[in-house]
Amino acid sequence: MEKTKSMRLPSVSEKEPNYNNSSLVILDKISKSYRGYKVLNSVSFHIDKGDVMGYIGPNGAGKTTTIRILVGLLRKFEGRLQIKGIPVPARIEELNGMIGYLPQHVSFQRWRTVDHALKTFGRLSGLDEDILEERIRKVLNQVHLSDVRHKKIVHLSGGMIQILGLAQAILHNPKFLVLDEPMAGLDPENRYKVKQIIRELNRNGTTVLFSSHILSDVQDITTKIAVLNRGQIMHIGSMDTLRTKLHSTNDIDIVLSGKFKQTQDLTKIAGVKGVEYPQPNKLLIHLEDQVNLDEVSRDIQRLLMADGYSIRSFTPYVPNLEELYIRFINGGGNQ
Amino acid sequence: MSLKLLFKDELKGFYKSNVMMFLWIGLPLVVMLFHILTPNTGDIPFSIMTALVVSTLGGTLAAIMLAVSIINEKEEHVYTLFVVRPIKRKHLLLSKFLAVYTCLAIATVLALMLGLALDYFLGSLPPEGLLSDTLFEFALALSMIAVSSAVGVFIGVVSPSVLVGVILVIYVGNQLSALPMLSISMELSISPLLPQVLGFFGLSTPSMFLWVTEIPGSIRFTFFVGMVLVVILLAASIAIFHRKEL
Repeated sequence: MEKTKSMRLPSVSEKEPNYNNSSLVILDKISKSYRGYKVLNSVSFHIDKGDVMGYIGPNGAGKTTTIRILVGLLRKFEGRLQIKGIPVPARIEELNGMIGYLPQHVSFQRWRTVDHALKTFGRLSGLDEDILEERIRKVLNQVHLSDVRHKKIVHLSGGMIQILGLAQAILHNPKFLVLDEPMAGLDPENRYKVKQIIRELNRNGTTVLFSSHILSDVQDITTKIAVLNRGQIMHIGSMDTLRTKLHSTNDIDIVLSGKFKQTQDLTKIAGVKGVEYPQPNKLLIHLEDQVNLDEVSRDIQRLLMADGYSIRSFTPYVPNLEELYIRFINGGGNQ
Repeated sequence: MSLKLLFKDELKGFYKSNVMMFLWIGLPLVVMLFHILTPNTGDIPFSIMTALVVSTLGGTLAAIMLAVSIINEKEEHVYTLFVVRPIKRKHLLLSKFLAVYTCLAIATVLALMLGLALDYFLGSLPPEGLLSDTLFEFALALSMIAVSSAVGVFIGVVSPSVLVGVILVIYVGNQLSALPMLSISMELSISPLLPQVLGFFGLSTPSMFLWVTEIPGSIRFTFFVGMVLVVILLAASIAIFHRKEL
């Protein structure tokens, strides 16, 4: 069935995942191709009960495909998927009401009101009529949409529709919540709101998987992250382990008291690979791999001081998480 | 359970739509207008003309509405939130079909009653022929709009865009929905068919089905053609929809 013979990059997915009894979701060597193009290549990971897992990757990495497989929307794939020990999609109906799902592009029938949409989805998820009313009231309160309960969906803003999408996903109190780019297109206030809701749900025992292509969206709420690139898992673990893995000490950030006039070619110093000038008084020195940091630092300082520059700060460059992530993705995760 | 719920839901959505408003109020008005503009329809009773106007105009509008609704909802990924829940995909289509069909049937009854009233008061329909003619007109109208609605569902499922969908409904839908009209010209008398078939196997017609043989052949033929077309179109739509990635 698979026509693609893609180059095999070393990845975490090659390793046997560490399954245990607390694993709620197990993906084992999941592959999926579209017309000969391999979108997912042997993706394996597991999500434990109570986890908030961030599923990170650039656009087109395969995040949505993985999620659509997880919620049973894509039924043809290779590999093994189990949720709560139940094979998916073969027996997905046994998970009735256990999964809540917010798709990447959430859309409702325009003629419905917020209340009507939630009533329909609540009933279809198996909620009884007598508890539905109270549940809708509670969820709308939780997502701060109580004011628009009787408004037609066609009159809601894009952000409100996204939040309503979250409301329908959590309405039936699912044990496992799958959110595909829940914060895409939201303003900072709504992003914060969504994060708060995820935290609250997790505190009440909901296991969450949510995807994003923005690392900062997930860094402060996840217990675990998986980085996906070109259909392969590049990293699984905590945010701290990723930070350690990504962190590079091969750059030096120098701030001078005055403007740098480029009188000296710093690349002549042994071990210096290149120099960037982000600001007139700032230098970013890229060093070769495996250099003696002390020696190179001393040589750079000596040269600058010999030219009469006064050095205000001289520190190893620590890029922010987003820069590291982009570097990681571009480098294929082989750093 | 999901079919009943979705049917109620869709009914709620459709009966308030502008197209349905036109069908419910506009169709009887069109019938009146038709009568004023063409008071002499030859030998054809006015109620038959009404049935034809209602079923062609109403049927086409309903088919376009169904096709556009399904195409738009497919494009906007509306169905994703439904199919991740424990419901059968076919219920999504059947509920739409049944909702539109119910709305149209009510519109048809309203327009036909007006047509019959006009016929009765104008004396163009003898009272003794009233029942059978009314039944035939009603059967014809219901069969045609059922076929139109099923065409709307089918085109909605297979069509890649609204424009293509509307063109297909206008050109293909109208032709197909006219098939139940064959009984007018053919006047097929198939009344004795059931006892004959049963007799071939040495059986007699069960008493509970005797009423079927009393129905004029043209009405049965109209219903039969309509039902066969509807079943084929809906079965094909469901099969295609089931395989679609939503």
